[in-house]
Amino acid sequence: MQENIINQSKNITLLEILDRVLNKGVVITGDIVISVADIDLVYVGLKLLLTSVETMREKRLAIVKTSQETK
Amino acid sequence: MILAMNENKILLNSAPMDEFEKAIEKIENTATSRINATPDNASHGLAKLVLTLIELIRKLVEKQAIRRVEGGSLSEDEIERLGETLMKLEMKMEDLKKTFNLTDEDLNLDLGPLGDLM
Amino acid sequence: MEKIIYAIVASNRSHAKLGDLMKGIQGISGSTLYALSFKGISVAVSDFTPSKFTINKGLAIDFARVIEELSQSVTLLPVRFGTFLKSDEIINQLLINHYDSFLKNLHQVENKYEFGLKVLWDYEKCSEEIRVKVASEEVKAADYFSTSTVYTNYLLEKIKKNRLEDALLKHIEQLIEEVSRHLAQINPDCKFKKMVTNNIILDAFFLVKKNKKDEFIKAIEALKQQQADLQFLLTGPWPPYSFVDIAID
Repeated sequence: MQENIINQSKNITLLEILDRVLNKGVVITGDIVISVADIDLVYVGLKLLLTSVETMREKRLAIVKTSQETK
Repeated sequence: MILAMNENKILLNSAPMDEFEKAIEKIENTATSRINATPDNASHGLAKLVLTLIELIRKLVEKQAIRRVEGGSLSEDEIERLGETLMKLEMKMEDLKKTFNLTDEDLNLDLGPLGDLM
Repeated sequence: MEKIIYAIVASNRSHAKLGDLMKGIQGISGSTLYALSFKGISVAVSDFTPSKFTINKGLAIDFARVIEELSQSVTLLPVRFGTFLKSDEIINQLLINHYDSFLKNLHQVENKYEFGLKVLWDYEKCSEEIRVKVASEEVKAADYFSTSTVYTNYLLEKIKKNRLEDALLKHIEQLIEEVSRHLAQINPDCKFKKMVTNNIILDAFFLVKKNKKDEFIKAIEALKQQQADLQFLLTGPWPPYSFVDIAID
């Protein structure tokens, strides 16, 4: 019973951490671009990337970093 | 994976853990699952999006209509027609949900009378 | 090989000290943490190349750990997870170009902690009370309709539902208003996200002076005692994730 509460506390803490680290802080768009067949499709916030990474494993998507130099 | 330090950031928690855990997860999931970048469930995701929008509009229209009825400025005939139309719209919506196998929860509309439409 | 950046750090020109600090902190996935500096401000960096196989929640948590460890000793602005840049040159350029806004923001968060408060209401209980109240205000078909048909019955149900919704909404807005007012009094440097849901009604963030930490926590506890129908979840102290106002293209 005690163990359950501890686990839940950890879960809540983890959720809070993820919320902050994925949604907050300084935003610099040197983000990840998902491209299919060499065509850049969409800028993906890391949050979306994290949740769909399992499904992406089956697809052959190339993850290409955007070039920060094109300023 | 657990932090080596500061494992527990909770300073004060007045409610049973479940409530908060569920509530936070829900916020997390709603935001992340709303858009899903895979072709597989693209059509399913699209249906969800479209129906959520339609349901939102339907609810707004319904609310406006009810306000008119309460206002008392409509004739008996108009009230009948309004009632019939609203009822049919609601039934149609139920059909659509069944067709696409979507529940109110899927459409982010499961939260009782107080919508959580973000 | 690419670089991931963790935070903008106030090094205050003691680069040696920062270097030592970083030696004792491991970057994500075992990478080495280092700093690029310019006039008293540094960027915490490590070499890391992202791939679909390595980006996962565990890594994000590890990233948070690095920030957490750094923040024990220096003032910093956390950077969002997933910021990869190609080279040190680019990072240096970034630092130089945005030096002023970094400096300003660092100053704002100096010697302060972030705390997060989530406020839940007891929907079942509160709605029950309101439900009873609204029900007592009888709504009769005759008030609105001269005849009774399947459609007017349908409308009547809708009217009742609407009244309940309006009452609930009004109640929850009052609650939110009251609580956020009290919270702003406790610590004016705060941000609110007001929500109308069946559980969480307020998501609040506070920037609190480090030496006022205990006072703040006590004040929140006291407020919680006053609010019998609300549940509080207070977390912290955190690095100032929610008080970073910088977005760069």
